[in-house]
Amino acid sequence: MSRTILISGGSRGLGAELVTGFRAQGCNVASFSRSKTAFIEAMEGSADFHWQAIDGRDHEAVHGFVNDTASRFGRVDVLVNNTGIATDSVLPLMRPDDIIDMVDTNLTAALLLAQSCSRVMLRQASGCIVNISSVNAIRGHEGVAVYSATKAALDGFTRSLARELGPRNIRVNSVAPGYFETDMVKGMEPAQMDRIARRTPLRRLARIEEIAAAVHFLASEQASFITGQTLVVDGGITC
Amino acid sequence: MLNPCSAADIQTIVHARIRAILEDRGDENIVIAGDDKLNATLGLTSMDLALLVSELEAELGVDPFAKLVSVTAVRSVDDLVAAYRLAFAPAAATPDDGLAEAARRAASRRARMTGG
Repeated sequence: MSRTILISGGSRGLGAELVTGFRAQGCNVASFSRSKTAFIEAMEGSADFHWQAIDGRDHEAVHGFVNDTASRFGRVDVLVNNTGIATDSVLPLMRPDDIIDMVDTNLTAALLLAQSCSRVMLRQASGCIVNISSVNAIRGHEGVAVYSATKAALDGFTRSLARELGPRNIRVNSVAPGYFETDMVKGMEPAQMDRIARRTPLRRLARIEEIAAAVHFLASEQASFITGQTLVVDGGITC
Repeated sequence: MLNPCSAADIQTIVHARIRAILEDRGDENIVIAGDDKLNATLGLTSMDLALLVSELEAELGVDPFAKLVSVTAVRSVDDLVAAYRLAFAPAAATPDDGLAEAARRAASRRARMTGG
C-alpha cells in the first residue's frame, strides 16, 4: 500500500523538493500553500496528488484539509511540518504584528497541523511527524531572534510530542537545516553567502536535496527507532 | 442540528467506542454506566481519551472540544455523552445540565491551581 505524505508549504523551495521526492517513491502526496505555483499546476489532476490553497494560519481549513486527505487516500502516514517564514530584522525594530505573524505561521500553525494529523495517526496506530526546524534554534544569530524562538519552540515540541505519541507507534523528529540554496537565501549579498561558506567546515551551503534526504530518512523505516531527535544538517556550522 | 443523530444514538455510539478501547486493552465483560469516571473507574488515560475523541470525530463529524466544551470538564461517561449532544444541539443546552456543572467544577479547580 502506498504511503500518504502530507507536506505543508509544498509549492516551492524545500516543500516542493519533498513533494517531488516522495512522489518519485510512489507515495500519495497532499499539500497546501497560500498560492498556486507553476510547480503545483503541473501536477493538478494527478491521482496521487492533492493540493488546496490554504493559509496555514486558518486552523479550521487546515483541519478540514487533513480530514479530506485521510478520506481521499485512506490514511496519513507522514506529516512534514515545513511552512515557515523568515525576516531579517532586529527585535527592537520589528512591528508587533510581524512578530505575531511569524509566531502564528512558524509555530502555532505547525502545532495545530500536528494536532490534526496526530488524531488520524492515533486511529491508524502509526505515523511519523517531521518538523522543519533550523540551526537558528541551536545557535544565536543577530536579526533572527523571533525566527529562532519559533524554531527552538518547535524542537521542544518535537521532544515532548515524541514522549506523548511514542507509545502509540507515532514517531516525531525534527530536521534543523543550515543555510541551503533556496529562495530564502536569494536576498543575501554574495559576500554574506561567502562568509557563511567560510565558517562552514564543509566550506559550502547545502544543496536542497541534501536537506530533503534527511527528511526522507527520518520518514523511512530506516529510522524506525528514532524519535524525539533533532537532526542537524548544516555542514558542521554548529559543531 | 448538524446531523440527524438522536440523543440515544449518541449515547450508543459513545458507549460502543469506549467499549472497543477497553476491549483492545484486554478488558472483558465490560459494563459501562453513565456515572463511571473515565479515568478513575474505567482506567482510560489521556491518550485513550485522545483516541476516543478522534474516533468519535471520524464517526460523528464533530469535535465538541474544539470550541464548545473544555475537555477538562469531562470526567464521567455521561459528561462525554453530554458534550457530543451539545455539539449537535448547542441551543438545547441549559445551565443546569450535568456538563455545565462539570465545567464549573473544572473552572474552580483551575482557579485554585493558578491562585486566581
